[in-house]
Amino acid sequence: MGDLTDLSSVEVQRQELALQVADVTRRPTRSYWGESWSRLRENRLGVASGALILLLAVIAIAAPLLSRYLTHYDFDHQDLDRIFSPFSRAHWLGTDELGRDTLTRLIYGARVSLGVGFLTVSLYILIGGSIGLTAGYFGGWVDDVLMRFVDVLLTVPTIYLLILITSLLPLTLGPVVIRHDAVSLSIVIAITAWGGVARLVRGEALSIKQRDFMMATRSIGASHVRLMARHLLPNVLPVMIVVASLGVGVIILLEAALDFIGLGVQPPTPSWGNMLFNSQSYFFHSIWLVILPGTCVFVTVVAANVFGNAVRDAFDPRLK
Amino acid sequence: MTFYILRRILISIPVLIGVTLITFLLLHATAGSFVPGLEINPNLRPEDVARIRHSLGLDQPLYLQYIQWLAGLVHGDFGRSLIDGSPVLSHILERLPNTLELTFTAMLIGLLVSIPLGVIGAIRRGSKDDNFLTVLSVAGVSIPGFWLGLMLILFFSVEFHDWGLPFLPSSGATSPLGAGDLTDRLEHLIMPATVLSFGYIAIWSRYTRSSMLEVLSQDYVRTARAKGMTERRLLYVHALRNAMVPLVTLVGLELPGLVSGGAIVEIVFSWPGIGRLALERALQYDYTMVLGLTTFAAILVVAGNLIADILYAVLDPRIKYR
Repeated sequence: MGDLTDLSSVEVQRQELALQVADVTRRPTRSYWGESWSRLRENRLGVASGALILLLAVIAIAAPLLSRYLTHYDFDHQDLDRIFSPFSRAHWLGTDELGRDTLTRLIYGARVSLGVGFLTVSLYILIGGSIGLTAGYFGGWVDDVLMRFVDVLLTVPTIYLLILITSLLPLTLGPVVIRHDAVSLSIVIAITAWGGVARLVRGEALSIKQRDFMMATRSIGASHVRLMARHLLPNVLPVMIVVASLGVGVIILLEAALDFIGLGVQPPTPSWGNMLFNSQSYFFHSIWLVILPGTCVFVTVVAANVFGNAVRDAFDPRLK
Repeated sequence: MTFYILRRILISIPVLIGVTLITFLLLHATAGSFVPGLEINPNLRPEDVARIRHSLGLDQPLYLQYIQWLAGLVHGDFGRSLIDGSPVLSHILERLPNTLELTFTAMLIGLLVSIPLGVIGAIRRGSKDDNFLTVLSVAGVSIPGFWLGLMLILFFSVEFHDWGLPFLPSSGATSPLGAGDLTDRLEHLIMPATVLSFGYIAIWSRYTRSSMLEVLSQDYVRTARAKGMTERRLLYVHALRNAMVPLVTLVGLELPGLVSGGAIVEIVFSWPGIGRLALERALQYDYTMVLGLTTFAAILVVAGNLIADILYAVLDPRIKYR
């Protein structure tokens, strides 16, 4: 009797297994992107953080509208009769030392933080990506030269380099004048920060280059450019996406720190960093001027990092 | 091993040359051939100007100037301040102890806090405590250090003072009168070191956790358990010791950041360190000073990387030079 039960249970197991196999083969094939995308959507915390970033981006873009129809103040509208005003119906989050509306300034600050965050990351992915791809694809002396340069770049402490370069501004280079504005800052930060991306992309490109499909494509006469753009790039893209999404938070923190030490975006343009710089002198009047801009930076960076982690978990081919 | 170390040292030479070349070119572009007052002094004839420039070596080709500057570096000559002509090295030597004091204390706090947190996270994996620690570490890497510093000052210096409680000093490394007094130094040190340690704690506790989890899944841990070893001894003697190896290298990786990692925190707390010096001088357009400090910091980074790599190879004999 016992033997029989065992036998039948083995038989049941075998049938279940066969069903499972059939099930797997019946399931439609899904692309890497489709699969990663659905993995990302399953991560509720990640989706919520992404939505928050999106919301902040919308607020940043709509800043002029919001200041006109919601807060009814310009970011540089001064009202010397109402300095350090507490929270009120007129000024929802109070005013600063010149009677400027804090909420309006925070909304405009989002433009600087998010703008610099996204622009810088796009730029350094572009620079680091192309250099890493070139180094990894060609190998040999091209790789050696480029990577030694990356070594050097990663060795010079970024913060000193940034302090030096930003203290040189405004800088006139021929017809171009580089000022303390968000776009220039993004360029400066991107120029000092692409080394890590180049190193990662190069490593990935090196390993993909070895695969058979690259050899096959090459053997039917594809050019270097075609091989790099159509075959290597799509395979390196996941790593670039992951680096990019993890980079935004770091850059927002760095930019806020530069504003805070007085070398970033300059007044009257409000940024969360330079609002904090201002607030240092008014500790005793209004602690909200310290708390609010910092909270904005903190919340934004938390959202960016949580979303970045979710993207990494969903997209990173190395984690599988 | 000796071979590995030698090769590693040789490899850092081109990096060193590249770094010094970059700072030299920046120096040339910013302060360059500028000699204070030389061009505007009406008493100097053009040939005098040329003679002075010649005596300073400014008429030589760029590569010769670079080599001379490099030779100076080897002898500890990091240049002179554009403002008062004082040697950069004397400023470095004055400020370096403060910077190292701050960073080492922060690292110590970081280790003391992150190891227990990481172990707890690993033992109670998936529990509420573990999730809480995850949240904490995301917060730790996301919080702006300068803002955290301001908030601490606001609370422990300003508000505590207002409430009549004993309050902490908000800036500097010592009080004007209390220099050399240990309690005074500690009082000044505690806030900046805590702020700086946040980043370390956030990262190191994560690594301790994952390293500990990996070790706990090893066969020898199961064997020890099967033989009836107490859980306490198993965790703290057998597992933790092996889990520490990756952490040591991680701490080693922070060595390069010793002089630059705390720059922003130094600025918030007016801590008389190298980072703050760099900012002060940058705001006064003292480019020779800033670049001297940058060169110094970059050389320390090269040295730090070297030490970290060697440390890694010593601790983990499986590492072979690739």
